[in-house]
Amino acid sequence: MSPLPPVKLVPRNIAAFRRGRTPREGADVVAVAGNPMSTRPESGIGNCFPGLECDLRNLERRFFPFLEVDIADNSIRIVGVDVAGAEADGKARGLPAASAKPYRTIGKDIAAGRSWNVRRLTGTFGPLGELTLDISRLGPPSVGGGRRPPDAWVAVRMLTEGTEVVLDLRGPNNAAMALKGNRMRYLDDNGALAEIFLPGELTQSLCSPWTHDFRDCGCYYWASNHPDIALPPLPTPVPNDPRWNLAVIWERQDRTIGTLPRPATVNDPSPFEMRHQEINGAWQTLNFVMGRREIIAPFSSRQISGEPLSSRDELERYLRYAAGVELAVAQEYLTAAYSLKPPTGLPALLADDIRASYAEIMRIAIGEMRHLRAVNDVLRGLLIPGTFKPALQVASAVPGQQPGQTRPVTPRAARAATIRDFIDIERPSVSVDGVYARILATFERDGPHALEQSIRTIMAEGEDHFEAFLSIQEWLGRHQEGDYLRSTKDVSPPRGDPAHKTLQTRYFDLLQQLYRGYTLGGSAGAPDINEARMEMVGPIDATAHEIADRGFLVVFDVISDPRFASIDPP
Amino acid sequence: MNAPIARVPGDGASPLFKRFASQSGEHLLVVPYSRIFDLPADLAARFDADDPEMAHLAQALGAMVEGEESLDAVPEPAPQALSLNVSSACNLACAYCYADRGSFNGAQSRPMTAAVAHDAVDRLFVTADATRPVTIGFLGGEPFVNRALIRDIVRYAQNRGAQLGLDVRFSVTTNATLLRPDDLRLLREHAFAVTVSIDGGPAIQDAQRPARGGGGSFDAVRRGIGPLLADPGRTRVAARATVTRDNLDLKRRFAAIRDVGFCEVGFAPLRSSPSGSAITNDDWPRYLDALLSLARSELAAALAGHAISLTNLAVALKQLHRGSSAPYPCGAGGGYFSVSAEGRWYACHRAIGAADYELGDNSGLDAEKRRRFLANRHVHAQTDCRTCWARYLCSGGCHQEASSRSAGACNFIRGWLEFCLIAYCELLDRRPDYFPGLNSARPSEISA
Repeated sequence: MSPLPPVKLVPRNIAAFRRGRTPREGADVVAVAGNPMSTRPESGIGNCFPGLECDLRNLERRFFPFLEVDIADNSIRIVGVDVAGAEADGKARGLPAASAKPYRTIGKDIAAGRSWNVRRLTGTFGPLGELTLDISRLGPPSVGGGRRPPDAWVAVRMLTEGTEVVLDLRGPNNAAMALKGNRMRYLDDNGALAEIFLPGELTQSLCSPWTHDFRDCGCYYWASNHPDIALPPLPTPVPNDPRWNLAVIWERQDRTIGTLPRPATVNDPSPFEMRHQEINGAWQTLNFVMGRREIIAPFSSRQISGEPLSSRDELERYLRYAAGVELAVAQEYLTAAYSLKPPTGLPALLADDIRASYAEIMRIAIGEMRHLRAVNDVLRGLLIPGTFKPALQVASAVPGQQPGQTRPVTPRAARAATIRDFIDIERPSVSVDGVYARILATFERDGPHALEQSIRTIMAEGEDHFEAFLSIQEWLGRHQEGDYLRSTKDVSPPRGDPAHKTLQTRYFDLLQQLYRGYTLGGSAGAPDINEARMEMVGPIDATAHEIADRGFLVVFDVISDPRFASIDPP
Repeated sequence: MNAPIARVPGDGASPLFKRFASQSGEHLLVVPYSRIFDLPADLAARFDADDPEMAHLAQALGAMVEGEESLDAVPEPAPQALSLNVSSACNLACAYCYADRGSFNGAQSRPMTAAVAHDAVDRLFVTADATRPVTIGFLGGEPFVNRALIRDIVRYAQNRGAQLGLDVRFSVTTNATLLRPDDLRLLREHAFAVTVSIDGGPAIQDAQRPARGGGGSFDAVRRGIGPLLADPGRTRVAARATVTRDNLDLKRRFAAIRDVGFCEVGFAPLRSSPSGSAITNDDWPRYLDALLSLARSELAAALAGHAISLTNLAVALKQLHRGSSAPYPCGAGGGYFSVSAEGRWYACHRAIGAADYELGDNSGLDAEKRRRFLANRHVHAQTDCRTCWARYLCSGGCHQEASSRSAGACNFIRGWLEFCLIAYCELLDRRPDYFPGLNSARPSEISA
């Protein structure tokens, strides 16, 4: 039987944990520490209770037009009313001024400290269909026949966007009122948070005293602003010593600034950490972490400068080229990653360096593929609905260090010179970053704001890739190329090589799947994209290893299909 | 653990997994080693659709890992626990008594002597694993009919155990009607695990467990055990109620026994009885309903932060949490033996006088007979059990009751276990503090 594609399961009881913890030789089941592989930087840890990075309950604070609510298990309390919005809406729809009267009443009562609550909620609750729910009586069963939302938040969460909702309200002195409106959305078409949210609103109910709890977490399952390790704060002037680029314990006991803290290791850090009580008493001495490094001075973000593009058409050309660059560099990175020797049986340091480098290059390659999707999402958001065609052509050349300069895409082994080239590609302010800087400047000038943020995210991750390649340069630079490369010469598979042909066929199928997924977009396209992802980490990865094991480079041929053909720089 | 003395292979076609869902989501019980996982919806659907790849996955998840014993193995552990049938008489006259009030239908007509008891203790201590506790239990008849012997054995075992560096523990199963203050002192002093046979409130108890000379026993039980329940010291006191088909109102029985002051109450259905009041094949659904109804209210209490007093549920949850997975339902003939008044060693206290359960005496065990007994009792050797998904949780049930096994009885076990699986997942989510032992630095998931 062929091996299963990887699946992830959450173990419940001790016997299940034991199965993951003690894999046998040639393990088919392994324990995975930390977050699932699907975690993205923007998927901060949130839950339905005061959470770590985001309190998801706050997403539904404005589920009903012109009202802002607080949601608890069995109550929905109105805490704000946009009376002006309700009046303007009534006017725009030609309704009499009295149509906004209920909102004025509620607004006045709330201002005077008199509360209004949702007593009953009528609407379309997703798969449960149309229901009227008594908010105070919500509870089990939430599974099986006759199931109901178990609490108010889930009930609101289940309301189908855009469908009609009726609120049966109770106010002071048991005053009753019913309001009708359409269920609001919290994401826009591009998956960004809708503009109804105010800064700070999603984090306003977080639970900050958890800081000391994090001390004992051993699995990186916490908010990015509570790391267990970080790069140490840099003194001035910045020392030219690579040890300042090694991670240290964030909650370390020794808070001295200016001397190099003890590096973090895989061993139990607790002897060198502040104790719980110390953290409670001196939490303010824990440094902010930006870009993985602790900072001890006010943070100033990188100034991105780029010349805005002249037209919407030019912007589209740049975006299509940017997508092509993502695909091209992903191919180069994959070729380099597969050129590394398998670490098994090699001396420990060499094996560790190869293992880390391979993992990091693969992570970056996967990051580029996520960027590819992000750029496609931006294009979809930019274009007139119905006119979007996915950007899946591969760049023939990637941007160089100077404006207008390019270099051809060349698959090759991960030699020192190759890694230097990769560092240059990812270097902030130039190369690919320079292309995105112009796209960003255009969105900053013309909007929309949500797309601007998507581009910022891609650029921020590019910085992370740049730093990762610097680390890879350091790790591999400790060894001779012949020690860590399968072959120091770039040998492409011979013409007609069956494994190479299989790889090309699978790659083509994968692009077709992505094309379908991107075309459908949103959740409709998700199954195709997921299939493509499984294909990539399953059969394509296996075929690539088969080629590499025979000493050949893993290369991707130019495709003649116009959807996936080469694209030149604009 | 000693090397296995034999292997009884399982049935290749037996189910490898059991799917179930709770309010916490979709789950999977991997039958070998009782591993429980949460499943994402897509995988759950594939399991439900009998996707062959999922069977392959279940097989991988059910593979034995370090620290686990093969489920095919027939182990031959050193005896670690003995029950001594110190009395062949009883002051009560329960119609359903498996022991015929201690005489075992004539197989045990005289009370045990101190010499026989000492020999049994010596024999146990010679072969027991000194790194683990050794347990001596007292049964009968009613053990406290022969309280002088109990005292003598406790003293003897304590002294001998101390000389040999053994951790000796004691247990007793009693009807509690004869307990005196000096008995309670003994129980407290030696941290006895005390199981009291009590079937319910006055009406049920008096009807099912009448005094030998007539009249009820409820008041006597309350008088006897009351002071120990009020001041248990280091003892652990639990009630065990036998349920007949005549009255399945478990909630009422439970409440009445709790009212006496018991914090742990377990129910055992009467499966065979000369009195004709055993649960029949048709009664099992009713019995399951009654037990589930009680268990649900106990679970609700646990979710609200209280302890679980229904030991059937508490024990099941504990075992599911650990992932108990065994080819034997108990230690009979393995780590546990019951010694008759004559000094014969039987695999089980319920089998005193039964030739096929007699595996030796105070002079030693019949190794070959014991080997045969263990191989025959392995769950893989039970025709109906070896292909059941619950085979390593139920393990075939009490050997003595195997003959009364019926489709209804097995459906009851499976129905009960299914409820416990669901209850486990829901309780684990909402009251993780109830289940100690999961490392805080646990992996968040495993990849297969």
